[in-house]
Amino acid sequence: MSELIKKIIMNYPYFAAFIIFVIGALTVLTRSNLFKKLIGINIMESAIFLMFVAAGNIRGGAVPILSGKNPHTLYINPLPSALMLTGIVVSVSVTAFALALILRLYRSYGTTDLRRIYEMGNEVSE
Amino acid sequence: MLSLIIALFSGAVGGLVVAMIPETKNRLRNYIVLFFAASSTFFTWRTAFMVFAGESVRVAGELGGLAFSLDPDPLGAVFGLIASTLWPFTAVYSFGYMAGKHKQRTFFTFFLMSLTMTLGVAFSGNLIALYLFYELLTFATYPLVIHERSAEAMKAGAKYILYSLSGAGAILIAIVLTYAWSGKLDFSGGPILANSLSPGLNWLLVLFVGGFGVKAAIMPLHRWLPAAMVAPTPVSALLHAVAVVYSGVYGVLRTVYSVFGHELIGQLGIRNILPWIAVITILAGIVIAARQDVLKRRLAYQTVSHLSYILLGAFILNEWGLAGAIFHMISYSTLKIALFFCAGIISEKTGEIKVSKMGGIGRSLPKTMVAFSIATMGMIGMLPLNTFWGKYYLMKGSVGAGKWPLAVVLIISGILNAICFVPVIINAFKGECTKTNGEKGGGVSLMLAPTLVLVIVALLIGLMPGIVWPGVEAVVNWFY
Amino acid sequence: MISAITTNLPVFIIIAPLFVAFVLPTWAQRKRLVENLVISVEILMLLGTCYLASIVLLQKGIPIIYQMGGWSAPWGIELKVGSLGTFFLLTVAIVSLPVALFARGNLTHEVGGKERVARFYVLYLLLIGALGGMALTNDLFNVYVLVEVATLSCCGLVSARNHPRAAKATFTYLILATLGSCLVMGGIGFIYIVTGHLNMGFASQELGRIWQNNPRVVWMAFSFMLVGFGVKSALFPLHVWLPDAHSVAPSPASAILSGLAVKGYLICLLKVLYNVFGFYLMRVYSVHKIMVLVGMVAIISGSISALTQEDLKRRLAFSTVAQVGYIFLGFGLLNTKGLTGTLFYLASHAVIKSTLFLSAGAMLNATGKKNIKDLSGIGRKMPITTAAFTISSLGLIGIPLFSGFVGKWQLLMGSMETGSILPVSVIISGSVLCAAYLFPVIRIAYFGTAPEKDCKDPNLPQKLALIFLSAAIVFLGVIPGSFLELANRAAAELLVLR
Repeated sequence: MSELIKKIIMNYPYFAAFIIFVIGALTVLTRSNLFKKLIGINIMESAIFLMFVAAGNIRGGAVPILSGKNPHTLYINPLPSALMLTGIVVSVSVTAFALALILRLYRSYGTTDLRRIYEMGNEVSE
Repeated sequence: MLSLIIALFSGAVGGLVVAMIPETKNRLRNYIVLFFAASSTFFTWRTAFMVFAGESVRVAGELGGLAFSLDPDPLGAVFGLIASTLWPFTAVYSFGYMAGKHKQRTFFTFFLMSLTMTLGVAFSGNLIALYLFYELLTFATYPLVIHERSAEAMKAGAKYILYSLSGAGAILIAIVLTYAWSGKLDFSGGPILANSLSPGLNWLLVLFVGGFGVKAAIMPLHRWLPAAMVAPTPVSALLHAVAVVYSGVYGVLRTVYSVFGHELIGQLGIRNILPWIAVITILAGIVIAARQDVLKRRLAYQTVSHLSYILLGAFILNEWGLAGAIFHMISYSTLKIALFFCAGIISEKTGEIKVSKMGGIGRSLPKTMVAFSIATMGMIGMLPLNTFWGKYYLMKGSVGAGKWPLAVVLIISGILNAICFVPVIINAFKGECTKTNGEKGGGVSLMLAPTLVLVIVALLIGLMPGIVWPGVEAVVNWFY
Repeated sequence: MISAITTNLPVFIIIAPLFVAFVLPTWAQRKRLVENLVISVEILMLLGTCYLASIVLLQKGIPIIYQMGGWSAPWGIELKVGSLGTFFLLTVAIVSLPVALFARGNLTHEVGGKERVARFYVLYLLLIGALGGMALTNDLFNVYVLVEVATLSCCGLVSARNHPRAAKATFTYLILATLGSCLVMGGIGFIYIVTGHLNMGFASQELGRIWQNNPRVVWMAFSFMLVGFGVKSALFPLHVWLPDAHSVAPSPASAILSGLAVKGYLICLLKVLYNVFGFYLMRVYSVHKIMVLVGMVAIISGSISALTQEDLKRRLAFSTVAQVGYIFLGFGLLNTKGLTGTLFYLASHAVIKSTLFLSAGAMLNATGKKNIKDLSGIGRKMPITTAAFTISSLGLIGIPLFSGFVGKWQLLMGSMETGSILPVSVIISGSVLCAAYLFPVIRIAYFGTAPEKDCKDPNLPQKLALIFLSAAIVFLGVIPGSFLELANRAAAELLVLR
């Protein structure tokens, strides 16, 4: 038991990422409000970002900026962070696109509740 | 080789030509149809003689990463001869029957297309080619089944497609299994599965027989056939009594003799069950036929019954059984087509389709009903007609294989055929004459001529079975 | 100059559509120019791809490795022009050209406004560029980025017609697709954590050495990848977004979405499964069995759902769900024949499904309706369109001499090698069901009573596109030649033990 707790404490960013991911996924799948779904997606993505960045972290490592004066020999892996920059860009564009869609849906259906939009069927005019 | 190609593709080319001729030019279209059907017949005969002479007329090529080959052996040649020879007769009959009816262009286009597909089945040299043409035959004949475009016709068409495609699916599974087990698909060079023995073979045979059995109308897979009788009579006559159903029968013969080989089937546990499946269909088919009032449906169930004669011959697994099967294939086709032709003339000239209302019809349509009676004698298996010999060889085969009950079944079936049709004939010649002579004008001569010629041919073969015997002998020698 | 182009051709092929996509809005007002630009990019792409394919075929299996910016792996990013890459690139080029040509016909009408045409093409080219990238990339993170580019442009294409129904379908699609990409990114993260590499080759080597140290993480990576790409490629039961999205999109968009976009994700999955994990690990984790099982379920349920649809485009969309099942099944067979068949099937389905959607679109446009029963008798009025529909249906059903059969036959041979008859019978039942849901359309089109409305074949570019695609279906079915050879080699390379 203590072994397990020790493992969890040692790897806490990953467990945090896991919990955040589950929260996000549940939000996406169970909520019918368009905004909440979108927020769920963003939470999920944050979980993945956290996981990547944690993977690059090295305990006691320094910022990976090489210069002659720097005495450190242990650096944090910069690659995952750089990758997550791309991930964030993608996430932002998805969010922007989804917001535009929500706006369009709200104008046509007068609601942001996906269930009600589906109940209305195809009777809505342009 | 060239004659093989011409024989095969005459139909398809003719179909395309016919499709381009305007709907109204009936006369021109008829000549073209006759020309292409006749050319196909001529070149099929040439090919067949080359095959019987032992020449190889193989055309093979790789298409789509698979080997396709056309390589008729005597069995394929015999089937090709039957189909292509009957085509011009039916074409002439159709000119009379279709005169003044709608959508003639569509009818003749697909009528010729089906010729190519049927000959393709006959000439195919491996399972892939056989499967291709078997599948295409379904699509080519579908427009003919739904020719009337009525709700009933559409329903029959849907049934036809459903049954045929499911059957083709079973065949494809079986082909895949065959290829996976043996690594070859060609019919030439002995049976494909000759040296393999595995417990799965029984099921493989069931798949093949079940798949081809759909078109061969083995009970309970026969239900599309009576439904398809909504088609115009020439179609019922040629396709649903001969070409299409024979492609199924031919597939079963191929399975038995070219895929498995009679020696291998002789070792399988299922060999004792197969003849009895045919027996059930023979008896049940004719019993159901006797209860049908619509003449074409009665003939259809009789077809179901008689197709299983041929299957029975295949499942007996000896020389005489095969000889009987081939002989019955040849002789039955001539007479059955004549029967349907008669039914067509009756319904066209008197408007009667029900057997119970055909009293006195023999007076108004004497020639038709004489032909009908002779053909019926043939269905019973009486001597001066060719079907007697087929039946005789079948009985000889079954006794020779030590299965004398099968011979008894054949005799019983003959009696049932008599019970089914003799009253019709008696009734037709009894009673008052309603019209003086209905066999004049309106294309009747076009319909009557092929009927009478076919009946005379059947009589000739019956009196001199020697004229078709070389073909039968060639098939038997090829496999034994 | 010429050598500079040929050596950098792999990257040009991907960059060209992306670049044109970015400059297109500049000339948004000039519709003709935009269209000509798109077509010329497509033609250039096709030519370049043919050149690459010929080189790959001549080199007999040695892939061209292109290092972006001159940095060698594992530091730089690689493009790998191997058999698999060129095979899919060729598929993309062959399908996207006629679709663009078809779009030229009446896109203004389809997207509802002249000013939206250029936007459509921007998204279209972005998607093509991303698909080309998926074909060639050899880097896991690039896979993610390209998948995202493709997803966003797909979503854009679905909502190209400014209609509330389209917006609704797009939103569902967007949310589920993003969920899928989160999972994919998670899977990539797990692989990176275990191996420390993003280059597929290096990651694979490392994984082969040390997977036993972290078996659970590898298992997680497997499942994240499978579910992630499963959502994106509409694997049953994760397909809920597809029927809506593919049926409300404008016809050219439906064609490219159903034909190519779904295949792009499948190719990515294929690369991840075979080039990163390797078939040995798949066997260790029994992933292949799951894939075969799920594939079979998808084939049957997708086909049955398709049977129940009255709306023609929805029927075709459900048919895609079934066809994805075939490809999943094939990926799980783990033998050369099965994979060859699957790859060929994937390509031929791309061609066939785009033809189906394009011809269906043309028919529905002419009648102004969307149900199958409204197409009554259209075969006589629109012979070329209906002929294209018929040819592609026969191809999808799997009649010999049409491209679908060639792949299906190899697939059947491959499934036989698993020793079970069940996949074989499911594949063939799928074909029979496919006939059951496509044949009524043909029957109604040819043999139904003639329509009162005067319908005509579409205009010349659309007719050309349909003829090109139908010819491709027959051509690939009769002489698959080097195309099949390429698929065969790609399959063999995927199954090399690392």
